[in-house]
Amino acid sequence: MSRDELNIKDNTSLFKEERYVQQRENKKQFEAPCSEQETAEALAYSKSAEYMEKNFSRQNVVINPHKACQPLGSVMAALGFEKTLPFVHGSQGCNAYFRSHLSRHFKEPTPSVSTSMTEDAAVFGGMNNLIDGLENSVALYKPEMVAICTTCMAEVIGDDLNSFIGNARIKGVISEEYPVAYCNTPSFVGSHITGYDAMIKGILSYLYTRSGIESKPGSGEESGEKLNVMLGFEPYTGNFAELRKILGAFDTKYTILGDHSGNYDSPATGEYEYYYGGTKLADVPQAANALATLSLQKYTLKKTQEYISGTWNQQLAALSTPLGIKGTDTLLATISELTGLPVPATLTEERGRVVDALMDSHPYLHGKRVALVGDPDLLIGLIGFCLETGMEPVHIICSNGDVDFNEVKFKDEAEALLAASPYGTEATVHVGKDLWHMRSLLLNDKVDLAIGSSHLKFAAKDAEVPLVRVGFPIFDRHHMHRYPIIGYQGTLNLLSLIVNTILQQLDDHNSGFNFELVR
Amino acid sequence: MDPLRQDEFDSQACGSMAPKAKPCPRPKPGEAAGGCSFDGAQITLLPIMDAAHLVHGPIACAGNSWESRGTLSSGPSLSQYGFATDLTDSDIIFGGEKKLKDSIDYIAGRFAPPAIFVYSTCVTALIGEDMDAVCKEAADRIGIPVIPVNSPGFVGSKNLGNRLAGDALLQYVIGTGEPEPETDLGVNLIGEYNIAGEMWDIEKLMNSAGIAVTSRITGDARYKEITWAHRARVNMVVCSRALLGLAREMESRYGIPYFEGSFYGAKETTYSLRQMAYLMNDREMERRVDRLTEREEARLSQELRPYRKLLRGKRAVLYTGGVKSWSVISALKELGVQVVGVGTNKSTEDDVRRIADRVGDDTEYIPEGGASRIIKTVRERKADIMIAGGRNMYVAMKEQIPFIDINQERHKAYAGYEGLLRLAKELTYSLANPIWKLAASPAPWDKEAPPYDR
Repeated sequence: MSRDELNIKDNTSLFKEERYVQQRENKKQFEAPCSEQETAEALAYSKSAEYMEKNFSRQNVVINPHKACQPLGSVMAALGFEKTLPFVHGSQGCNAYFRSHLSRHFKEPTPSVSTSMTEDAAVFGGMNNLIDGLENSVALYKPEMVAICTTCMAEVIGDDLNSFIGNARIKGVISEEYPVAYCNTPSFVGSHITGYDAMIKGILSYLYTRSGIESKPGSGEESGEKLNVMLGFEPYTGNFAELRKILGAFDTKYTILGDHSGNYDSPATGEYEYYYGGTKLADVPQAANALATLSLQKYTLKKTQEYISGTWNQQLAALSTPLGIKGTDTLLATISELTGLPVPATLTEERGRVVDALMDSHPYLHGKRVALVGDPDLLIGLIGFCLETGMEPVHIICSNGDVDFNEVKFKDEAEALLAASPYGTEATVHVGKDLWHMRSLLLNDKVDLAIGSSHLKFAAKDAEVPLVRVGFPIFDRHHMHRYPIIGYQGTLNLLSLIVNTILQQLDDHNSGFNFELVR
Repeated sequence: MDPLRQDEFDSQACGSMAPKAKPCPRPKPGEAAGGCSFDGAQITLLPIMDAAHLVHGPIACAGNSWESRGTLSSGPSLSQYGFATDLTDSDIIFGGEKKLKDSIDYIAGRFAPPAIFVYSTCVTALIGEDMDAVCKEAADRIGIPVIPVNSPGFVGSKNLGNRLAGDALLQYVIGTGEPEPETDLGVNLIGEYNIAGEMWDIEKLMNSAGIAVTSRITGDARYKEITWAHRARVNMVVCSRALLGLAREMESRYGIPYFEGSFYGAKETTYSLRQMAYLMNDREMERRVDRLTEREEARLSQELRPYRKLLRGKRAVLYTGGVKSWSVISALKELGVQVVGVGTNKSTEDDVRRIADRVGDDTEYIPEGGASRIIKTVRERKADIMIAGGRNMYVAMKEQIPFIDINQERHKAYAGYEGLLRLAKELTYSLANPIWKLAASPAPWDKEAPPYDR
């Protein structure tokens, strides 16, 4: 059946019908007894400067948060390793949230299990749950490694993962050799990015220590001429592909540490396999011998970076997400420096093409005031991109921006970056604020464009600002994560997204005189 | 027709069964289990649209879940806001009660809701916050109801959370208000959450038959209407697993008779409407219902004809929670779709009995979760389509199995007569889409057939 034979209305059109309008009117008797005028006044007040001041002096409640919790990041990190089962130690609901959250973003299944702790575990500790859980999940899902992270509950009651895993081995539930990595990730500390970091560090250090290898960075043995690359909490599978393309163009050998792109971009073959791709477990200890490590989210990967430059004693280059021309330039220069290889001509050529594209679009971007919401490393990249296109960042909110790397705080770096450009003079960076703060900002100091996750859509709608969806999570658009936003190609994608949103606005809000064919 | 349909209900008078003491089953460690009690409590109460819902705990519980359910509102949107106390490690050590108090005050002062629901989480339950006391004190001080919902995640499954939310309504909400004297009293709809606007379809039908809705518990509800739910003449339990206890308790406290029913499928819809009229003991209303249902069924059967032709003999695996496990079977049967596998892990014993009544012996029961278990049934039973919730959707896609989302994230309303039409349309579209053929045929240079040949 190729077309509607029946006109069955759905909720977008059905509820505009008179009888439903009537039904809604009838319902008002149950609502707070205030007049339409009062409602309008309250709404207007919530958009006022006076309200904004009160909103910003708010201390004790978060309204519309823009961060997720540590174990969510840990689950993503665990999926970056070959045949590794993410295992959440705590009550079951957390795990259900992580699976839904990640699946809604990537439109892919998320294999992850939980110890399903209940109140008896709260009293007696979660050891039995962990041991039973290991036994069941290994039998059911046949992973080659289990990566355990904790939730609030396990942390509050003080469960000792190391000894529990040891006891599981003693009980014979898993063999002595069976790899089980773990990290502690209560959600009342940090956010999804710190949880990602904790799990990556947990897996790297665990696999390295148990291998018995002594790191000799750049020694040439085994994989000494390789480069290690980490992308961090990466919501774009396309970014992995783009990075592979760039490294391939350099013709350098490399290991990506934590590659979940396989799991979140697997083909529909007719058979679901639970595990797709990921960093090979055997490659992890060898990575200690690599030439150097390149990290593309320096704030996110703070502890992992400290571990690599400390314990592995390895050269480390840490950047924020390489967005825009300058961001990508820095990436290529860094790869060139670390490997000693020249920047390939193909990439220089690509750079030229993207610069050309930016020039084509610049009249529509120049002076556009934008609001940005995201994780710290993404924001550093986005600010850089905006500044080089002549867009002016105005409001920047980073809920989980209370992080530093090498004693430079995110906020300070962002402000320095903004201060160095004439397009950054109006910007204010708000750390630890939420999307209700952003709503006040959008309403009181208008911008042309908002850039951020799907969660920003409510505030953007209230302020009638178009939203370009970038970052995590993107629930209400399809396939955004398949297109890279890093590298020159990513810059082009980001540019098309933004400039075409602006052009669409022009068409949607044309005055009748400027509905033009050529832009 | 005898409206009580003795074959489907116990021979006892409806609703006089003693509550079963059997608790919700414990989740099994090491499986990809569903939501927790906290999640369940929110599911039940978030559709009270004009209330504020404050999560007392670390950011995760709110941060991972706010505004992600398809329960629609016809007006107020306060319920969609993600309010959280965002406890940090120092609050865990020194306690978060002060923060909770301040949060409640802030919300009351800035948003002026008719009520604030405060949810405990694993953390606040473990560190021993006296949430009830804080809420009581705050309610006395600010003069609006502040309702503690004690349903931390670790106490158990999502279903248990539904029940605990029902307890909170019984304890703090129902019976605290009175309807206007001229209000036409009728039926409480319990356990209907207005996913994709289903509630509105149901309400429209009831209105057509002259049956008033007294309180919506809780799809597109207003706080105030729930306070006078005790004045209703009949309770209809739409999702039995979740809030049956609430209906039972209301029967014993207020003498309101209840019945369990569904709006999935024409027969179930007709039955539910008839049962309402019957329990209201109103002859005239019964006649109106008969006229309405006859007319609607006739129209429906006409309009369904083209779909029936296409759907006849198709085989489906149904994996869903609670009442839908059996009620959707009826809807599918009416469309000529055979249910060859059905999930029962979230069904009550009564639900399972009803499933058995409807599917016969030829259907496989899937007692526990996990994608592989469901997929196995789809393969072995050579099913044409899988009907389940969002967490299983992408697995179905990987397996190239046509899929329909039946749970809380769906965007289509399947309740009532029109809902059945929508379901028929969605099934047909999902089955007929050319993508399945494309997916199942190998690339031209690849002779080997894909592993699962349907």
